[in-house]
Amino acid sequence: MSEVFDAEALSRAARLAGVDWTPEELEAARPAVEAARHLLATLDALPLDGVEPTTQYRIL
Amino acid sequence: MSVDLAFASVIDLARMIARKEVSPVEVVRVHLERIAARDGSLRAYITVCAEAASEAARTAEAALMSGRPAGPLHGVPIALKDLYDTAGVATTAGSKILAGRVPATDATVVRRLREAGAIVLGKLHMVEFAYGPEGLNAHHGAPRNPWDADAERMPGGSSSGSGVAVAAGLAPAALGSDTGGSIRIPASLCGITGLKPTYGRVSRAGVLPLAWSMDHVGPMTRTVADSALLLRAIAGYDPADASSSVLPVPDYLAALTGDVKGLRVGLLRDFFLSSATAEVRAAVETAARALQGAGALVDEVALPKVAHVAAASYAVVASEALAYHTSWLATRAGEYDPEVRKRLQLGAFISGAHYVRGQQARALVRDEIDAALAQRDVLLAPATPLTAPRLDERQTTLGDGPSDVRGALIRLTRPFNCSGHPACAVPCGFSAQGLPIGMQLVGRPFDEVTVLRAADAYQRLTDWHTRRPVLA
Repeated sequence: MSEVFDAEALSRAARLAGVDWTPEELEAARPAVEAARHLLATLDALPLDGVEPTTQYRIL
Repeated sequence: MSVDLAFASVIDLARMIARKEVSPVEVVRVHLERIAARDGSLRAYITVCAEAASEAARTAEAALMSGRPAGPLHGVPIALKDLYDTAGVATTAGSKILAGRVPATDATVVRRLREAGAIVLGKLHMVEFAYGPEGLNAHHGAPRNPWDADAERMPGGSSSGSGVAVAAGLAPAALGSDTGGSIRIPASLCGITGLKPTYGRVSRAGVLPLAWSMDHVGPMTRTVADSALLLRAIAGYDPADASSSVLPVPDYLAALTGDVKGLRVGLLRDFFLSSATAEVRAAVETAARALQGAGALVDEVALPKVAHVAAASYAVVASEALAYHTSWLATRAGEYDPEVRKRLQLGAFISGAHYVRGQQARALVRDEIDAALAQRDVLLAPATPLTAPRLDERQTTLGDGPSDVRGALIRLTRPFNCSGHPACAVPCGFSAQGLPIGMQLVGRPFDEVTVLRAADAYQRLTDWHTRRPVLA
């Protein structure tokens, strides 16, 4: 999941999310996007099979 | 005996008002005058409710004089982070986008504070939409940390104005909100007490969100006892907040016995103490010894899964924040602080699968903390690994190496936003530069009683929380 995003992939992902970035803004954001993707890739390595997603503590 | 009303505790103010030793009109006047004199440089407030607060104080005084029953906070002024809806008073989340937004109703916790007799002094400065831990805001200018105003140190955020106002005597107490540490970080950097209750303990209804599943609401005060009193007033089930708990609300104040004999304290070294600067590490270790000296049983415990918190927190907070802001980003992107806009837009690159994996990872972290607390009553760690950085500082050096300031500030607090456990930050020393050092005590879910008892006992053993900044 730590692939390098090319300009077209960045642009497509931004459009899908409704974020209107110019090519210059996309390029400026590339290091932050790649750092974020690298961080998120660590989640893929976790033993999460069978773990139920938690959105709040046991409240009752 | 002469009492400095600007630095009197909430408990003392409430007691003096109830006994008619001081009028709420006088208490509010003292605070408004202090705000007028000091807030031009400190910038804690976005909106000061001078007329409304004065009128409410006169009403409170009249009620007392006529013998009507008074609530536990009768006549005590309190300030609110600018993301709590307040009927008839602008609530903007520190943004341009919501400038002029005036809610018709109070947030649940604001209503509860008013029902307890509190008087709203004003709305406090914050990071735009609560998205950042430094306390910076491009629209309003950054509030100044009162401990080093000349050097322009960060107050911490996102509840920056709450930290500054309480530390500088511009409010006896405030409400903050905490998504990754936004109560405990400014509490640590400004030398006050900040309580993040268990997720679900306090209603979020009427509080503008950053990330719904991570947002917590809580008090910021100068003493633990004051936080206990405020928590009692604001906690409890609220049908307007689907995540709020139906568990009964204890009398937190009555639980503050000062006794920690036999209390089992787990000192968090790996990741927590190990990342702190030498001064912070020494202060927290000294605090652990103080608790031990009072009869607590201290051991060390490790939470290796907190290494996954950064990724899990990022996946969840950035996705939820983007969801809330999507329509404004499409139509009013230019009105955001550029830094905040960039953080929000980066959420576009998180997949749905990663959001869910983030929530799954939270469960791993929560279970590990639960396991540690099965053998202990509280966990002890630094609240922040460093003291207040300079406003223009972007990189720093921690105990385990270089770090960006933003990541450093949030590193030790957000594990307990991920897990939902209650955590209370209190001052535990000062650096050689005279800047406050903060530690946090973490407890079992919905066991704020034990967290507050331990933190209050620590404040009875020490005087860090009684020190006041010398303002220029």
